[in-house]
Amino acid sequence: MAHPILSFESAISSPDSQTKATPNLLPCRVHHDGPIGSVETYWEPKQGEDGSSTAFFRGRKLVGKTVKLPEGYRGVVAAKADKSSPVARPDDELNQVGDLEGEGEGEGESGPEQGSMQVQAEFDEMVIWGHEATVDNAEDPYTRGMEEMLSLADLVRQLSVSLYLSGLKC
Amino acid sequence: MARTRSTKGTTAPSTSTTTTKTTTATTTTKYSLPAESENPPRVFILPKKATPAARIVTLSNPRYARPSRYLVCPEAGFFEFTRISAPKTAPRSWLLEAGSSAAAEAQTTKGAELYLASPIDPLFLVLPALAGSGQQKKRMFLTSDDHFDALSESSASSHLSEVLRWPGIRPVLERRMAAVCDTVEAGDESMFRLNESKLLDEILAKTRRMSELGFPKSMEEKFVAKVLEAPILGVRSSQAVKPTGTTTAAAQEEEESSATQTPSAADSSSESQSTVSSLKTSASSLSESSTSASTPATSVDDDGTEPVISNAMTAPAEAVRLQRLRVSFNFICSSYVAPPLAAVLKDKLAEAKDKADFKVLDEYLTQLTELRQEAVAARAVDYSRKHTLDEEEDERAEKRRKKEEEDKVKKANQSRGVNKLKKVNTTGMKKMSEFFKKK
Repeated sequence: MAHPILSFESAISSPDSQTKATPNLLPCRVHHDGPIGSVETYWEPKQGEDGSSTAFFRGRKLVGKTVKLPEGYRGVVAAKADKSSPVARPDDELNQVGDLEGEGEGEGESGPEQGSMQVQAEFDEMVIWGHEATVDNAEDPYTRGMEEMLSLADLVRQLSVSLYLSGLKC
Repeated sequence: MARTRSTKGTTAPSTSTTTTKTTTATTTTKYSLPAESENPPRVFILPKKATPAARIVTLSNPRYARPSRYLVCPEAGFFEFTRISAPKTAPRSWLLEAGSSAAAEAQTTKGAELYLASPIDPLFLVLPALAGSGQQKKRMFLTSDDHFDALSESSASSHLSEVLRWPGIRPVLERRMAAVCDTVEAGDESMFRLNESKLLDEILAKTRRMSELGFPKSMEEKFVAKVLEAPILGVRSSQAVKPTGTTTAAAQEEEESSATQTPSAADSSSESQSTVSSLKTSASSLSESSTSASTPATSVDDDGTEPVISNAMTAPAEAVRLQRLRVSFNFICSSYVAPPLAAVLKDKLAEAKDKADFKVLDEYLTQLTELRQEAVAARAVDYSRKHTLDEEEDERAEKRRKKEEEDKVKKANQSRGVNKLKKVNTTGMKKMSEFFKKK
């Protein structure tokens, strides 16, 4: 099985204490994956008066625009958990799923591989940075994708929603 | 800039401390960077209604029959992942700044993928099984189990059988199947057989909704406004110009689209014409929808009050509506329906005049193509006349350029003194050759 079934697991048990992060979309490639230690010394975004923020990164002026996530969506930063980490936990929802697997003619063990995505932080807005100026809304695939794709997908699906929900209730 | 200097000032002592620290630990690098993690963090945008029981699973993509990743929640339903990544020409990276809490560290990623989980109608996921593999073979009434088995068999890595065991998933899928199938009760089980007319109805209903509630701006511009836009003709030309033609089609579109725009997209104020190339689903697949009519040779000036230039004709509202309908129909077909079935559906749509009559639009489009051809032809005459001139001009320009290049080489070899002497005003002086004449 190439791809296991993944679940989102938060590192912190209660959702209230979930760490908030700010994803910054830099207009350059940083050739490094993973933690980078403290960033205060070289990353100090300043909030401007017109809603955009400015930062200087390696001598270049970056102008950032804060983009709120569309209604009904939340942002999650997650990384694939190591294989060794225990998947079965004495957790309610997981138990529920585990029970179901047990019912399925004892196929729970031989079922597809289970994995999890470790939720590291959540966010409800992100900052998209551009060189010297904010990125163009119509050009940027990120903003367009968020605003247009999601609304469009909602429309394509919506028609059946009422039917769909009634189906779930019974 | 004062700011950069001040930051430099602050960074200087801290870097020195880090160097002293690191030199004791490692001697190779000046700055110690934490090791790269094997599993880089990824940025997701997930629906709020998805519960913690939601799982990322692999299911067969309804259009391409390739395994793709989906988010399935027993309560909220099915979501497909759309990956947005930066084009190669504009590299990007995430800098994930941790919030105020000291425990979390900032992180970066090499890639800048953003994974969007957008809702998908589960109907499309079971559609390949309902449609069957062969078109010729007569479809049989089969139980939902048989249909699901067919789906699981078609791709080995699909988690469908697993997903079906979750509570609530199966009834939902069966309900969606029932919406497009003829059903027969056999004992206590229902048997399903795909009814293409029902499927067409279902897709058309979605289509209507999509076109009525407003298109995303970039889609509206590219596939509706652009296609229906008439070429600009000067008033002098023989074409009959409607008096109402002063407002351009595009401007009208603009108004309409902004009126029907969803609030989330309304704030995108930029008016530049955008390309949809980087978005996965709406990219090339949609290009087929932009009909046979070629793009107009000239772009429409947004300034509709310009007295001399005006559009030859404006698209009637009905045509605009139909074009939206057609685009959204093609969009759904090209993103969620396998090609053979999509072809069948398109034929059906063409036949079903009572459901959606595209006559007005087609008439308008043929008229438009004629107009465009005329406009192009008119211009082509100009071009051919100009062309001969252009060639001569080209030759002359070529010669001139060569000469200039030679001059440059010469100049580069000359000394500064000679160059300076050239600027001396020689009027009234005797020519050099005067001195060497025979007396």
